[in-house]
Amino acid sequence: MPCYNFSPIRSRRDFLRTAGGGFGAVALAALTGSPLIAGTGGATRAGAALTNRPGRAKNVIFLVMEGGPSHLDTFDHKPLINELDGQKLPASFKPPILAMGESNAPIMGSPRQWTQHGQSGLWVSDWFPHVARHADDLAVIKSCVSDGINHAGGVCQMNTGSVFGGRPSLGAWVDYGLGTENQNLPGFVVIKDSEKEVVNGVRNWGTGFMPAVHQGVEFSANGSPIRNLQAPKGLDEARQRDKLEFLAQLNRPHAAARADDSELEARIRSYELAYRMQAEAPGAVDLSRETAETKTLYGLDAKETAVFGRNCLLARRLVEQGVRFVQLYSGAGSGWDSHTELEKSHAGLCRSVDKPIAALLTDLKARGLLDETLVIWGGEFGRTPMAEQKGGRDHNPTGFTMWMAGGGVQGGKSIGATDDLGLYAVKDRLHVHDLHASIMYLLGIDHTQLIYHHQGRPERIDVNEGKAFKRLIG
Amino acid sequence: MKIFWFPLIFTVVGMSRLAAAEETRSGEIFFETEIRPLLARRCYECHGEKKSKSGLRLDSAARFAQGGDSGALIVAGAPEKSLLLQVIRRTDPDLQMPPDDPLPATEVARLEQWVAMGAPWPASVAPVAGLPVDEHGFTAEQRAFWTFQPLTHPTPPALAGKRWARGEIDQFIAAKHAERGLVPAPAANREEWVRRVFFDVHGLPPTRAQVTAFVEDQRPDADERLIDELLASPRYGERWGQHWLDLVRFADSDGYRADFLRPAAWQYRDWVIRSLNADLPYDRFVQAQLAGDEIAPNDPDVFVATSYLRNGIYEWNQRDVRGQANLIVDDITANVGEVFLGLSFACARCHDHKFDPILQKDYFALRAFFEGVLWRSDLPLATREERARSAEKLTAWETATAGIRGQIEELIGPERDRLVKRAHDRFTDDIQTMMDKPAAQRAPFEQVVATLAARQLEYEVDRYEPQKALKTPEAKARYATLLAELQLFEAIKPAPLPEAFVATDAGRESPPTKMKARRGGDREVAPGFLTVIAPEEPLITPLEHSSGRRTALANWITRPDNPLATRTIVNRVWQYHFGRGLAGSPNDLGKLGELPTHPELLDWLAQRFITLGGSLKKLHREILLSATYRQTARMAVPARAALIDPDNRFLWRFSPRRLDAEQVRDAMLAASGELNLTVGGPVQDAGVSTRRSIFTLRRRNSTNDLLRVLDAPAGFSSSAERQVTATPLQALLFMNGEWPLARARQLGSVVAGAADIWQAVLGRVPLADEKRVAEDFIARRTAAGRLGADEAAGAITSEHAVMAAGRFKENTARERLLVRGAPREGDDFTVEAIVHLESIDPGAAVRVIASRWNGERLSLDSHGWSLGVTGKKSAFKPSSLIVQLVGEDDNMNTAYEAVASGIVIAPGKTFHVVARVACAEGTVSFFVRDLDSAESGPLTTTVKHRLVGKLGAGAATPVIGGLYRRGPHQFDGRIDGVRVVPGLLDDQALAADPSRWSALGAMTWDARHALPAGYEWQAGVSGEETADPRIRAMTDLAHVLLNSNEFIHLH
Repeated sequence: MPCYNFSPIRSRRDFLRTAGGGFGAVALAALTGSPLIAGTGGATRAGAALTNRPGRAKNVIFLVMEGGPSHLDTFDHKPLINELDGQKLPASFKPPILAMGESNAPIMGSPRQWTQHGQSGLWVSDWFPHVARHADDLAVIKSCVSDGINHAGGVCQMNTGSVFGGRPSLGAWVDYGLGTENQNLPGFVVIKDSEKEVVNGVRNWGTGFMPAVHQGVEFSANGSPIRNLQAPKGLDEARQRDKLEFLAQLNRPHAAARADDSELEARIRSYELAYRMQAEAPGAVDLSRETAETKTLYGLDAKETAVFGRNCLLARRLVEQGVRFVQLYSGAGSGWDSHTELEKSHAGLCRSVDKPIAALLTDLKARGLLDETLVIWGGEFGRTPMAEQKGGRDHNPTGFTMWMAGGGVQGGKSIGATDDLGLYAVKDRLHVHDLHASIMYLLGIDHTQLIYHHQGRPERIDVNEGKAFKRLIG
Repeated sequence: MKIFWFPLIFTVVGMSRLAAAEETRSGEIFFETEIRPLLARRCYECHGEKKSKSGLRLDSAARFAQGGDSGALIVAGAPEKSLLLQVIRRTDPDLQMPPDDPLPATEVARLEQWVAMGAPWPASVAPVAGLPVDEHGFTAEQRAFWTFQPLTHPTPPALAGKRWARGEIDQFIAAKHAERGLVPAPAANREEWVRRVFFDVHGLPPTRAQVTAFVEDQRPDADERLIDELLASPRYGERWGQHWLDLVRFADSDGYRADFLRPAAWQYRDWVIRSLNADLPYDRFVQAQLAGDEIAPNDPDVFVATSYLRNGIYEWNQRDVRGQANLIVDDITANVGEVFLGLSFACARCHDHKFDPILQKDYFALRAFFEGVLWRSDLPLATREERARSAEKLTAWETATAGIRGQIEELIGPERDRLVKRAHDRFTDDIQTMMDKPAAQRAPFEQVVATLAARQLEYEVDRYEPQKALKTPEAKARYATLLAELQLFEAIKPAPLPEAFVATDAGRESPPTKMKARRGGDREVAPGFLTVIAPEEPLITPLEHSSGRRTALANWITRPDNPLATRTIVNRVWQYHFGRGLAGSPNDLGKLGELPTHPELLDWLAQRFITLGGSLKKLHREILLSATYRQTARMAVPARAALIDPDNRFLWRFSPRRLDAEQVRDAMLAASGELNLTVGGPVQDAGVSTRRSIFTLRRRNSTNDLLRVLDAPAGFSSSAERQVTATPLQALLFMNGEWPLARARQLGSVVAGAADIWQAVLGRVPLADEKRVAEDFIARRTAAGRLGADEAAGAITSEHAVMAAGRFKENTARERLLVRGAPREGDDFTVEAIVHLESIDPGAAVRVIASRWNGERLSLDSHGWSLGVTGKKSAFKPSSLIVQLVGEDDNMNTAYEAVASGIVIAPGKTFHVVARVACAEGTVSFFVRDLDSAESGPLTTTVKHRLVGKLGAGAATPVIGGLYRRGPHQFDGRIDGVRVVPGLLDDQALAADPSRWSALGAMTWDARHALPAGYEWQAGVSGEETADPRIRAMTDLAHVLLNSNEFIHLH
């Protein structure tokens, strides 16, 4: 734990409120020997129960297939949709509310070739041949459920637990709970695969009612990784340094004469941190330090895998350097949303992520990082067994697939199930709240204990409704 | 202290009573969240209401204390001596509990911790079996909680602070000082006080003249005069209106994915500001927002306030209409509870509140008042007379144009109706049934759902573009002719009445409110107030078209004797003045909030507020003129205060504060002299506008960067307290961001010396030391700048050349050319230009030739296009012609597309460039000719894109030489002419000489001619690159001061 020259802190609440980075609630609880959970209510309580859990993941890499990948064509094998291809949804199935409202559309089969992989014999379609080789590392959760039938609600819930805005993102909760291990980099980093905006924009990685220190920071893979990281044109380094030194010359005596005001010190420190970030961040994304072999592994040499491959490699580098939570978006701006011609659009997207994701798993494993890095794959929902327009599928939040690997997850496991058509989750349903609780569990955090008091309510990542699915750990 | 502590020897040396109270509260919370559920789950089965094995019951504090047959269960504070721990640790083979499976280690640890804490067990909040409860299920302790008590009539402690106090407020404060041995801080000097009151009341720093005028005002009532003057200024409502907008989660957009703009939402914002400036009594302020439509349906200045009921977020294409209707009413309910009553009702949505006496039934009873709320788009902001007059004119116009309109309808109606029908059929059958019924036959709930669903059909009508949808050229031509004919009647057509963003009830009847009980299924709940203080049935008088429910609620909330509402508002006012409420959690005065430090003062203020007739201004005046408010913030913290009240809860000085986001932005503009004080009306993005922050666009999904890093709320839930964070991202934005730098450049270019900058930014003269280091800095920077300038001298272009016709240069007076009032070019158009670039961007930015785009990619507002040349680090071919488009894709989503030609436009040469953008075809075809090489033929290429239209739906004005929103996209060089023409021009119609362009452009500009009407040069952000090293040094100094802690913190 780095040791800074803190001025006396007026209260724990102030400390958390103004701290520029670093300490998570869990670490603080351990540090101070006293329980601590912060919040605008200022209440404190026991933190001992926070830790001491079997989970051993330290970092998370969340691979978001934004727009909703079809589980029926990737990881959830349903031969019945091929048998009923072209027929109407049998009357025994409750008709779902459909985002696009094509209520009488017929069932559409999947033209994929399915095979069982690894010792575990997990079913994976031919769209993920590389990932399939890691079948024995994957826990494939086939019974995910969300409340959002539209992208905005779905993406918002997958990120924050609520279809409604205003709550902190999962990455913010993890950063709040565990803090960052690298003072010079943000604890929560987001990288997209294109310039397009993710649905709902930056609030997906926002902090809602929590302090802004926990917000996700968008890294651009090209040029300057963080916005405003570089001095603007015409400001050479000497000039910038001169200005910063003069600023310190003004701020130091000002703060010294007001030693009781920890906010002044915190702001001075934030400038120092920013300065160090300027030094460290470009190196963190500098792939010239990687071997040609590694780059090939991630598919940087092929056009269709280059972008996501680069992002996966960046994710590994960031996690290695102590970034707690990395979120990679594939198909930013609902790219996976295939209302028409799913066959074509999914084929391209799957090809663009399959090899890079497999490489990420291979690479993490080779470096001994997989055990402590939880890799999560999925979108905000899946897709319907029914066809829509020309060969597409509509949104399906009532049953879809996500998978996890690493971070102590027992691989080679299929968890839960949808019905025979893959429309509704029927066994071991895991709502997004449960998924969030489970992710916390894998990180060694009891999600019912990680609390932030806001407007008199003890808030949790799971909106008080989730249950950790403990069978994820072997 | 309402808590049951087990006997415990407890060292309290050095612990203030308040700290002890805090400790108590955390103990209570620990018990309620950890221990009680654990006991209930693991123990109650055998040791509870039904069974009490071994004579032991664990379901109440008293019974727990009693112990069972084996004696006392615990020794508080000593787990190792406690029987309870021996039993659950199973150390004694004869006595192990629970009998079957051991408790998990974490639960044992939790109980151990609880005993170590002294086993706090709060006086029962949730009714505990066996303890006496009243007919509503509340215990005596619950009822006794301070929040729910009637307002008392405290008398100011007469003897307190005799010499110090200026008014009754101070007497209360002084009494607490005396109790705690605290000494109030000396009064702030005039400079400190005047800066404080300006920021507090106006949200702006005082000007130099205002400071001088006040400091030199020798009149005995100078303070009173200043306060009266400040409160009478329109700037007051602009500052305090922001507090209210935070509470009611106001924004100018829908939230959710599309985040559509709410073009009429600003009228509510302006109403709030106007009402505060007019000192509208608080009860009327509240009533108008909750029930303005019922109270004064024909007074637009009252019913506009029902916009409050629409501040929540909305998703335009949500097919789960029931679900969305339910979310909307839940969101209103939660907000009303927090904002007007200071209670967190949302906790009671799923169960009785765990800490406060709020029943689940109370939540639904509050919700019932809003069950019938209907979002209306058919009510203009006009009086009945204005509406009648307009309707009369409209009838005349309709009669006169019936024939033409009939023909238009025949032409365009069928396709439009087909689109509407398609939207209709997307809903599930039950929703369609509701929509298909005549309104009169719908049940109230059906009316709510059908109205919400119908908005999606209205949207189809709004976005239907006949000219595009018509298939044949003949039909298009005919449509144009008919429109032209219709245009002839424009003179007799009434001007449209102002659009309103308001709500009413669905009708006289409201839909039933169903409480979702965890046991026993749903149950219908009638409107009702909070049972614990007002169990009576509300008196509701239905109106002809409205349930009258909201009026009944508003009347109850604003009853002078409603302790919750009155305490809540006066506590907020106190909080905004002092940085912290007398009760520390202003949106939650319940048990999980903080106890008030000065309960008597809070009640006194509430009574005073009632006496003052609910006048906020009069309340402000008393607070602002108090000795408490006058204390300095600048003092070394006395040892005793540091020990017993380091957080300054008892106000032994004025608490230092960081400025709010809006205060910072406004103060920066004020410092640079750019602040535009135009009042009200529609708004612009905060990155472009120089108006006060409250008059800038609040987009939920894309809050302005500067405001966001300074913790401005995004508008999803009520925000009663601003966070104060200092993050590295904030520092990076302040140091490197374009916006603060632009303010510094402006300020640096108009000042004479360091002292001016100190005055402008910090409102004071520099101290001798500061002056010296500042002058050193200026000298150093000037010298360094001169060195750099000499080196760069060759590159500096002469003023004459910069101003030459058609010359565009960053950071000069002719940076970009705005084209106002140009007709829209549609989705198929041609852009043609003659350009001569002097440089391309060294980074990845595009040098823009022409655009109709604000540079964003997310919302409908950002729809548009640009034509330009890529930068050196572009992912596309550097220095090549590129078109960027934002429009709708075939999923009807807003999408961005970069369409690269791959054709190089080299700097230093003149080119004739053409881009034909076609959405119908999904292509852009490029045509480029190098005019400096006579022989070279044109290069052409056609590139596909996936946008289908709506390029023209955006909000940006066309711009030549840049984008509408300034960024790194300025053109650098000469543009001899530009035209934008609807339709796709064929090669014969192109010309490399603007004088040969036939005038059919949506915009046509020839650099050699005088500026046409509507064209306006935009200057860059002043003199950074004017090569004057002294101005550059001044800019640096100004920038440093704008980054300084003294500027951001009032301390």
